[in-house]
Amino acid sequence: MTTTITNSKNIIGFSVLGLGTLLGLVSVGYVLMIGHSNAYNLTRQIPWGILISTYVFFAVSCSGLCLVSSLGHVFGIKEFEAIGKRAILVAILALLTGFGVIAMELDHPFRMAIWVILSPNPLSAIWWMGTLYGLYLILLCIELYAFIKENHRLASLVGLVGFVVAISACSNLGAVFGLLEARPFWHGPYLPIFFILSALVSGCALLALIVYFNHSLRGIEMPPEYKKFMITLGKLQALLLGILLFFIIWKIIPGLYEKYPGIYEATMAALSGKLSFNFWFFEAFLGLILPFILLLNNSTRTPFGVMLAGLLTTVGVFFMRYDMVIAGQIVPMRISDGGKATGVLHYVPSVAEMGIVIGSICACLFVYVLIEKKFDLSHTGHH
Amino acid sequence: MKKKRFAMVFDISKCIDCKACTVACKAENNIPLVKDNYRNWITEGPLRGKYPKLGQSYIPGQCMQCANPPCEHVCPTSATYVNVDGIVLVDNKKCIGCKYCMTACPYDARYYNEKTGAVDKCTFCVQRTSVGRIPACVETCPTKVRVFGDLNDPESEVSKLLTKHPYRVEKPEIGTQPFLFYLV
Repeated sequence: MTTTITNSKNIIGFSVLGLGTLLGLVSVGYVLMIGHSNAYNLTRQIPWGILISTYVFFAVSCSGLCLVSSLGHVFGIKEFEAIGKRAILVAILALLTGFGVIAMELDHPFRMAIWVILSPNPLSAIWWMGTLYGLYLILLCIELYAFIKENHRLASLVGLVGFVVAISACSNLGAVFGLLEARPFWHGPYLPIFFILSALVSGCALLALIVYFNHSLRGIEMPPEYKKFMITLGKLQALLLGILLFFIIWKIIPGLYEKYPGIYEATMAALSGKLSFNFWFFEAFLGLILPFILLLNNSTRTPFGVMLAGLLTTVGVFFMRYDMVIAGQIVPMRISDGGKATGVLHYVPSVAEMGIVIGSICACLFVYVLIEKKFDLSHTGHH
Repeated sequence: MKKKRFAMVFDISKCIDCKACTVACKAENNIPLVKDNYRNWITEGPLRGKYPKLGQSYIPGQCMQCANPPCEHVCPTSATYVNVDGIVLVDNKKCIGCKYCMTACPYDARYYNEKTGAVDKCTFCVQRTSVGRIPACVETCPTKVRVFGDLNDPESEVSKLLTKHPYRVEKPEIGTQPFLFYLV
């Protein structure tokens, strides 16, 4: 009976993910047929949209997964040793998905592959982004290989190098935005540092989901070591969310304090303008405050509660990336229309952009679940 | 031969907002006729005075041909570069369409040209200026708002204008060191 229920759950799950992936593929085909400018709602004033923010979501999640999993096989915290292999696998899938999404954002991804090597510009944060995440992908593959072969010495060594590259890559991704003096809302050292912290938050949230669903979808009870891991993860995540809350507060206060042009308008767009529902509902309430309460409270800090908090935070972080990318471009560079500022600019993702985003998330999950079904990823422990 | 440093000087008191410069630019440079596609523009300045005695200026703009161009710094494939005459150019075949330069430019001077498959911007009509002619926008301007020339030549009209008159540049606080000058 249980097997039948599990099988039907599996079929429904795979069908939903398959349909989502198909939607993504249809969107990709549509974009290739009619061109980026007709398929995307991007303009010369807002050239980066939801595909960039989704790439950031995947890439930073990838870094976060490795940073948190390194607590086990690099820094020797016992509870975290159980999740190394799965964390690395999902990190690889997240990064590959991110690369896929950004390839759809670029007009010439194949030219990129040639010219970043033949005509590199080491002054460019995007050049470093490609280089660091490319190197990181290789390290992750070696790390996964070490886990599969149960070579813990190699896993620890590559994990340590990976830890450094993970922080470099995700903080450099923050610098892609932070180095632009033309965009006051992004400019400065805040975003590179913020990306490191938010990577840790993303990593913890995703790990909670991976561990919980890995057991519940197979219909098996969670072993005590994993329950203990979930509780420890919940405590760590509560601490990180508390710190993140203050990072966000300290992004807002200077934005309002002196009404600095460019920063004030973007901050107000998040607080009471076009991005306010995203900010207050998804980012602040769902992504931050609700999970923080769930994780602080002993009675809700159960494996289920930690998973729920992780799910809410993952959704919140997705919107956090979107709001950050759009808010930075929402203030026009030129004052026009009789000298009065036209206010903030308008951007809503097109159907094709949404299709690619949904497709990328579904494809990533689809491949992960498939690998879980086909291969044994359970932890074998140190020898 | 001595290196050139091309620049443009604007006397905005002469601008009548006829947009002949924008039209001439599009025709000269085969710019596809789509809403976002333009290399130069005219911004309306704020209204001055009180009704019925009102005044307004029109401010032509385009790529500022910065000496410290953020678009060049951010380009991951060095598709954006500065030529020997100080003109910021894009090598179309190297442009990957990441649009980082568009987010980095503080003047919104760039757009993505679907026809060339690359980000496009004002080149001071390099195809003309490299053979000693002046840019199309300068040539067409009916009220002679624009003056183009070589700042390394003290006898050029641009050098003389900037010696004689006070001037300003756009967003000097960002440190881009623009080579478009507005007489004040």
